[in-house]
Amino acid sequence: MSLQRMFKTFTIGAIFTLGAAFTNSNSGLSEIKMPYKKAGLTQEQAAAHLLNRFSYGVQPGQIKEVVNTGLEKWLLQQLEASLADTELNRRLETFESLNLSNDKIVNTYLTPAQVIRVAIRNKLIPADSINNADRQKYREQLRLIQEKEGFKPVQELHRQLINQKVLRAAYSNNQLKEVLTDFWFNHFNVSLTKGQSQQYVMTYERDAIRPYVLGNFKDMLMATAKHPAMLEYLDNALSVSNENERTRRQQNNAVLRAARERVEARLSDTSMPGGALVQQAVAARRTQGLNENYAREVMELHTLGVDGGYAQKDVTEVARALTGWAVKPMYKEGPGRQLIENLNQTQLERRGLMVEGDFLFRGDKHDENPKIILGKQFSGKDGYKEGVQVLEMLSSHASTAQFIATKLARRFVADEPSEAIVKSIAKTFQETGGNIKAMLITMVNHPDFWSKNALREKVKSPFEFAISAIRATKAQVMQPFQIYNWCTKMGQRFYYYQAPTGFPDRANFWINSGSLLNRMNFGLALATQKIPGVRINLLSLNDNHEPESADEALRIYSRILLPERDQEENIKRLTAMVRDTQVEQKINEAASKIKTEMVEDEMEEQEVRRQGAGRQGARNKEGDKIQGVNTMNSTAATVAQVVGIIIGSPEFQRK
Amino acid sequence: MIHRRAFMKSGALALFAAGFGGVPNFIARAADNRKILHPYKKNKVLVCIFQRGAMDGLMAVSPFTDPNLKTLRPTLFMSPVQAQGGMMDLDGQFGLHPALNSLSSFFKEGRMAIVHGVGSPNNTRSHFDAQDFMESGTPFNKGTSSGWLNRAVGLTGHEATPFSAVSLTSALPRSLYGDREALAISNLQDFAIQMQGNPMAGNMAAKSFESLYDQTSNQLLNKTGKESFEAMKILKSTDIKNYQPANGAIYPNSPLGNSLKQIATLIKMDVGVEVAFAESGGWDTHFNQGTVNGAFARNLRDFSDSIAAFWTDMGQYQDEVTVMTMTEFGRTAHQNGTGGTDHGRASCLFVLGNDVQGGKVYHNIKSLAKADLEDGRDLPVSTDFRAVFSSVSSGHLRLKNTNGLFPGWEGKKVELMK
Repeated sequence: MSLQRMFKTFTIGAIFTLGAAFTNSNSGLSEIKMPYKKAGLTQEQAAAHLLNRFSYGVQPGQIKEVVNTGLEKWLLQQLEASLADTELNRRLETFESLNLSNDKIVNTYLTPAQVIRVAIRNKLIPADSINNADRQKYREQLRLIQEKEGFKPVQELHRQLINQKVLRAAYSNNQLKEVLTDFWFNHFNVSLTKGQSQQYVMTYERDAIRPYVLGNFKDMLMATAKHPAMLEYLDNALSVSNENERTRRQQNNAVLRAARERVEARLSDTSMPGGALVQQAVAARRTQGLNENYAREVMELHTLGVDGGYAQKDVTEVARALTGWAVKPMYKEGPGRQLIENLNQTQLERRGLMVEGDFLFRGDKHDENPKIILGKQFSGKDGYKEGVQVLEMLSSHASTAQFIATKLARRFVADEPSEAIVKSIAKTFQETGGNIKAMLITMVNHPDFWSKNALREKVKSPFEFAISAIRATKAQVMQPFQIYNWCTKMGQRFYYYQAPTGFPDRANFWINSGSLLNRMNFGLALATQKIPGVRINLLSLNDNHEPESADEALRIYSRILLPERDQEENIKRLTAMVRDTQVEQKINEAASKIKTEMVEDEMEEQEVRRQGAGRQGARNKEGDKIQGVNTMNSTAATVAQVVGIIIGSPEFQRK
Repeated sequence: MIHRRAFMKSGALALFAAGFGGVPNFIARAADNRKILHPYKKNKVLVCIFQRGAMDGLMAVSPFTDPNLKTLRPTLFMSPVQAQGGMMDLDGQFGLHPALNSLSSFFKEGRMAIVHGVGSPNNTRSHFDAQDFMESGTPFNKGTSSGWLNRAVGLTGHEATPFSAVSLTSALPRSLYGDREALAISNLQDFAIQMQGNPMAGNMAAKSFESLYDQTSNQLLNKTGKESFEAMKILKSTDIKNYQPANGAIYPNSPLGNSLKQIATLIKMDVGVEVAFAESGGWDTHFNQGTVNGAFARNLRDFSDSIAAFWTDMGQYQDEVTVMTMTEFGRTAHQNGTGGTDHGRASCLFVLGNDVQGGKVYHNIKSLAKADLEDGRDLPVSTDFRAVFSSVSSGHLRLKNTNGLFPGWEGKKVELMK
């Protein structure tokens, strides 16, 4: 952690001190008393359930470890999230962007349009070259500039963001923290699909989500509200008002007005090189007054819930309370940055500006009229603090407790959790002021967490599925981006979910005919080593002991990959299929004959076209068959096939 | 292309029957619901094409008799004389860009309508926000969890099949988010159990999976598993890779052309497609957009030729299919300093189908005089996109009830369907 980041974390922590007592220690937490025995579960079964819900999947041998550690102690360790992560850190060593500040990121990882802007401003390319019809030459020119200035494409930043998520989920020892980071990111969703926020998503997860996932809800709400990613994603950075004393004074003062106009003219000077681009950027961001997007979603999606008891009037009033919440200008080339940097503390205050990290409060754009929100009066004179008070009020509202409890239960217990467990968690929310650890303890202490309706009844998300397969097979992931590509195919393009709702956390959203086939294909591809940059050693999972038959392989690997599950029926069904590859081969030959007849039927219509390609196809098919038979005879291939089928099986989709 | 009848004769179904217990379930159910088993029974299909990046509607369909146009766009203005390679006069007021030539006959025949001045009441000029609002169908509400096309499929009242809502994209578009099952697939050939270089092992794996999903106690996995395998076999029965378009249609070898070709394949397989979605990119023309030739014209020609090929290919299915295009906003009325146009407000869209009252440019546009422009610079939105989307979707898909299709909207539809 860089000194600068440490300092920032410390500052943020210091500002939100109220929740800190809960955040930093386990004092005041209830005892963990998990009633799994009453539900008729053995320690091992209970450990499996805990690992299924609070980690990204069971590793071979892990159930035994957890039982040896003690289930309560294991959970406490996970809530503490301070286990050493040497192996993970080694894997993340080469990720150069992980610890960068927003400032550094926005001036390094640029979109092509930003490169052009910087290049023109610094007179690295003549302005009229934009008109250059030779696009290729022009691109080459831009590439050279990029190299010379040390710029990097913003996609590289995204790639590291995506890759770190995969690696942390697969290899971190603090699994619960990773699971919760995913949960809370999704709750406070932002998206790489939005250009204005894309450069900030990395630091959003790092600075606004991750530090709080085992802390206090209010702190996280506040951190997300002030982070550039959220300010841009839901447009609060654009939401402004002239209803304040400062603006009125300025508008009445000729000198100040002239100064303001000069600045505005500078911002929209089209005669300048690249002026059109700058102007367009300015026009796109030209403040149009109140923007209610964030105000609506902070109530509907982040706190109260859609039926949480607020009206459109409240949305408008919350939006007004949050006017002037903005992002500190960070682009080195932008005029805003110089303006802010040239002001000392006194000058900032005189202008009604407050800078805190990358957050900027603009008093000159804040609505100072009185407001009534959810029945409570706000004088309008508290500036930045008014918005803080509003968010605090929302974070401690009874509807919020209910809403957050429901979402937590939906993620960790069942798609349709019982009212009883939701009520208990909501009660803990209110009693502890939104302490997340305390809510999780209430959850596992509740009998409904261990009930039949919960066990194995959640379907893994594509990401959970992929990572659980990696963990179950102890796969070595050298190219994490491949896992992301597969998750996209399976229906979860993480970090790119466009709507602020986040991914719906329900099985019927994840499971459709296309995504399900891709889950099966993922299992086969992983097990047969067809995913580039992902390697497994299946024999080592069985202490390098070769199974003597396909039958045995099935039994052994079902037990390794799906411990503590009743697999008898599945094994029975599969045994018939894998037992005799000879029979299998015959079936396939027969099938391919029927297929050939079918093809011939089609060929009547399309004979001419097919003749050339058909011969080539037949030869390939023959080749495949020979290869197929050969492969099937080797034990390794049989084991791979069996493992692929287990991973793609319905049982492995459940957690 | 084999039709259902040929497909049964070929013995393909016999093969399925042996292994999997007869006619695919969802087909049997669908047939049962309708009480008839007609081999050519088809659903109405709405094909939507999203032009991402904001198409310059003023250049695609130009109000060429407006004297302001030449002033606003001195170097982007095109000749209104078709014989000189210029625009085609549609109605004395609007001219069709020559790159849209392949669509012009549909307009003349009265089966293609153009709606101009279309956009969102939300005046955002951000691609992201405008697309988001257009796809959710709620221009002032980001938190709407579903997309309008997903709601439209739900309102047909038909039972869901794996292919009732299909998007030819790698990830599901916002338009299809929602409760109704929707499939995102960029290549139909991927819809299979695949074992690279080892089809026999693949077959065995497929059988194993099928057996396992058949016996799982999880109902959702059980039901979806069945449908996956049924759908997979149906697709397998057709040689998708060597698909031959009908009536000599030639699709451009472009992303849009390939998407529409695959949509045509699916429609002809009669697997219950009701809504299909495709995308076309490259419309964000800030630089050198050109006129009769150039970047914009190239893109527009691809767009036009792809749709024309699709329509020709549809042949006997044309009565069942309507194509509607959309784009998040239009572009500035005036050209910018780099031979392009910047983000504006209204654009135009195309609706093609035999139940469309075509041959007409529907619009409420006044003029391009500064006083008539929004913020003095953009073609204002004079037709709410929802007025068109609701008319086309409810008219073509025969939605009896459109409550909830566009929550909170109570405007009047543009009556452009027969």
